[in-house]
Amino acid sequence: MLSRVADTIYWLARYMERTRAMLQVIRIHYHTSQDSPAEFSWRPLLSSYGSRTPDELSSNEGDTTWVLDHLILDRENAASVYNNVLQARENARAAQDHITREVWQCLNDFYHAIRGTEIAQQVRQGDPVSGIDTLMRHSLVFTGAVQSTMPRDEGYGYLALGKLLERALQTTDILRIKWASFGDARQPAPEPHQLRNLLHARFGHELYLKTYRGNFNADSVLQFMLHNPYFTHSLYSCLHQLTWYFERLRPDSLPESYEKLEFMIGRLTNHVRYSTVAAAEPEQLNRFLLETRQELLDITGAFGNYYFGRSY
Amino acid sequence: MKENSLLQAYQEQPNVWDEMFHQNQIRPEYRNFVSAIEDLPAAELTRKDELAKKLFMSQGITFTVYSSGEGIEKIFPFDVIPRIIQHQEWLHIEAGIKQRLRALNIFLKDIYHQQFIIKDGLIPARLIYSCPQFLREMMNVDVPYDIYTHIAGVDLIRDADGQFYVLEDNLRTPSGVSYMLENRSITSRIFPDLLPKNNVLPVKDYPDLLFRNLQALGNRHVSDPTVVLLSPGMYNSAYFEHTTLARLMGIELVEGRDLIVHNHYVFMKTTRGLKQVDVIYRRVDDEFLDPLVFRPDSALGVPGIYAAYRKGNVAIINAMGNGVADDKAVYSYVPDMIRYYLGEEPILNSVPTYQMSDPDLRKMVFEKMDQMVIKRTNESGGYGMLIGSSATDEQMADFRTAITDDPRSFIAQPIISLSSTPCYLNGVLQPRRVDLRPYALYGPGGIDIVPGGLTRVALQEGSLVVNSSQGGGSKDTWVLGPESGAASG
Repeated sequence: MLSRVADTIYWLARYMERTRAMLQVIRIHYHTSQDSPAEFSWRPLLSSYGSRTPDELSSNEGDTTWVLDHLILDRENAASVYNNVLQARENARAAQDHITREVWQCLNDFYHAIRGTEIAQQVRQGDPVSGIDTLMRHSLVFTGAVQSTMPRDEGYGYLALGKLLERALQTTDILRIKWASFGDARQPAPEPHQLRNLLHARFGHELYLKTYRGNFNADSVLQFMLHNPYFTHSLYSCLHQLTWYFERLRPDSLPESYEKLEFMIGRLTNHVRYSTVAAAEPEQLNRFLLETRQELLDITGAFGNYYFGRSY
Repeated sequence: MKENSLLQAYQEQPNVWDEMFHQNQIRPEYRNFVSAIEDLPAAELTRKDELAKKLFMSQGITFTVYSSGEGIEKIFPFDVIPRIIQHQEWLHIEAGIKQRLRALNIFLKDIYHQQFIIKDGLIPARLIYSCPQFLREMMNVDVPYDIYTHIAGVDLIRDADGQFYVLEDNLRTPSGVSYMLENRSITSRIFPDLLPKNNVLPVKDYPDLLFRNLQALGNRHVSDPTVVLLSPGMYNSAYFEHTTLARLMGIELVEGRDLIVHNHYVFMKTTRGLKQVDVIYRRVDDEFLDPLVFRPDSALGVPGIYAAYRKGNVAIINAMGNGVADDKAVYSYVPDMIRYYLGEEPILNSVPTYQMSDPDLRKMVFEKMDQMVIKRTNESGGYGMLIGSSATDEQMADFRTAITDDPRSFIAQPIISLSSTPCYLNGVLQPRRVDLRPYALYGPGGIDIVPGGLTRVALQEGSLVVNSSQGGGSKDTWVLGPESGAASG
C-alpha cells in the first residue's frame, strides 16, 4: 500500500474515533449541566476541544447553547465535531479506492447530515441530545460499515491502528483531566456521580455496574479504566488489540520498521499491564498518565516515520 | 403522435435536427421509451429527477467548488431523458472513429519519426513546428506497440442535415468516461426495467477493456506488471473520475509525490518500501509531467519520468506529445491523413476549418464573422471561443485584433447547428443542444469502443456550448442493439 494512502486511512480512523469520543463527552457534560448547574463548568471541555483563549471564554462559558454550537458545529473551531467529520471525509475522498463504497457513502452521508439544517436546529433551538444522538448514530453506522464491508487487509489494519491509538489517547486524557478535577483540598475523594460521569464518558458505565455490582469507589473505577480486559475502552484493552493488529502487518512491513514499532508497542503494553497506580496517590497517577500519553505520541510519530514516509 | 401534455408542449426548433421528434412524429428509436413514460403521472418525472439528484449526491458523485474558503458540493447536472442512437447509426460512428484513430496514430508516429507527411508536402512543416503541443522531446522515442492514442474521446455533433461531424479529437487526457458509467447506473435506478426492454447495449465493459490494454503494455517487462493511475490529486475537478476508474480496475491511484525515479526506473513509495511501476495511466497534462524537462514549477509530476519513459522502462498512457494531433489547426488535415496513410475515404465528416494564418481565408472570415465560430487552437473546455451569431461588435473587434497579432493560434469554422433533444427542465420538456463523446480504446489487439458515450447538453436555452465548465450537463446515451433496430426501424 502507498505510504500516503496508509497515512490518510490511519488519520481517517483517528478523526472518526475522536468524533465519537467528543460526542459522548459532550452528551454526558450536557446532562450534567442540566442536573447540577451550580457546580458545573464547560471549561475543561472547551480547553480540550475549543479554539478560544481562556480570556475569550469567560464571557461565553456559561452559555450552554453557545458552547454546544462551538464544540459541535462551529466551522471556525478547528477541533469541532464538524471539522473532524469534514477532515475524515476529505481523507476518505483521497483514499476512495482503498475503502469500500459503503464506507465512503456512510461518511459522505455523515458529512451531509452535519452540514444540514436539521442538526443545527436541534443543537441550537431544539433538544441538543437528539442532535447528538443522530450524529452518534452516523458514527456507529460508519463503524459497522468498516466492520462488515472492509476486507481484512493492510487498509483495515491501518484503520484499526488509528482507531485504537486515538482511543487509548482519549482514555488517557479523560482520566487525567477528570482526576485532576477531583483532587482538590476541599474534596479529597471523588463523588459517586463524578465517577459515574467518567464511566459514561468512555462508554463503560454498564459494564462497570455488572463487574462491581454498583460498588462505586475510586480505585475500582481507575483499575477498570486502566486494566479491564473486557472493556473495549480500557487502556490495556486498546493496547492489547493494537498489538494484535500490528502483528498482522508484519508481512507487509519492512523488517527494520516492524521491529522498531513492535518494541515500542510491546514496552508500553507491558508498562500499562504491570502498573500499580492507585487512586489514593493522585500525583503518581498523573505522572503515569503523562508518561503513557508521551509514549502513545511517540508511537504515532514512529508510524509517521517508518510507515507513512514522513521524513520530518 | 403527441398525445401526452408533456410531449404536446414541446416545440421543435426550425433548422435544427431534433433527436426525438421529426415533423411532430416520434422517431422510431425513441418510440419504446416514450410509450413507457407518456403514461406516467405528471409528478412522476419530477420525482425521478429528484431521485437522480439525490443518488448523485449520496454516492458522492460531486465536484467541489471552493469559494469563500469553504467547499460547496455540486453535482454535474444530469438530465433524466436518455439520448438514444439507432444501431445502424452507431455502426457508422464506430467505423468512422476507428478509421480516424488509426490515421491519427500513424500520423503521430510519422511526425515523431521520419515525417513523411511533411516531406510529401501534405502538411506544412510550419504548422507542426509552431504547435505548442508538438514536443521535440518525443522525436525518435519508440513507444510500446507504436500506440500513442490509447484513449480518445472524439466529440461528434449532428448538423441540421442529420449527418454526424467530428468536432474535436481529444487525444490527450479526455475526461468524462466515469459519467458515462454513472449516468447509466442512475438510469437503471430511475427507469427500472427500461434498459433491457429497449435492448440497450451495455457500457460496463469499459474498465475491463482499459485495464486489459494497460496490462498488455506492461507485459514487455514482467508477467504481472504494476499499473497505476496518476492523478493531480483530490482538488482536481476530475478527481471523482480518477478514483472511480482506479477502483473499477483495481489499480493504485497515485499522485506525483508518491512516485520517484531511480536509475531511470519509476517506483512508488509504499509501506513496504519502494515498488517498481511498469505502466502509468496518467491524468496529468504533458507540461506538468516532468519538472526536469517541461514546466520546472510543476509539483504534480515526477522528476526524471521522461527519461525513464524514453528508455522504455515505463509505459505512459496516453503518450506524451499527442497534442500535436488534436490541435485545432491540424484538425483540418485529418481527412487528408486518412487518404494518405490508409488509402481510404473518410467515413465521418469534418467541419470545414479555415486557418487564420492564410491571409485570403482570414479576409473571408473577417467579412462573414457573424456566421463563424472562432476558436483558439490550443484551448479547450469552451474557453477562448467566439460564436459569431451571438457576439457583440466589441467582442468581434477584440478577436480581429487578436487574430491579426497571432494568426496561427486561431481557426474559424462555419457555425454548425448542434442537434437538439428534449430535456426535462423545471417540469417541462424543452429542447437543448447536445453533442456526443464516445470513448475509444486503442490497444495492441485493436480499437474498442464501448457502445455509448457521454452526451453533453448545453443547458442554457439556445446555447451551443456543451462544456461542463460552461454550464453544461449530461445525459445517459443509449445505443440500441441490432434486433430492436430491425424491429422498429
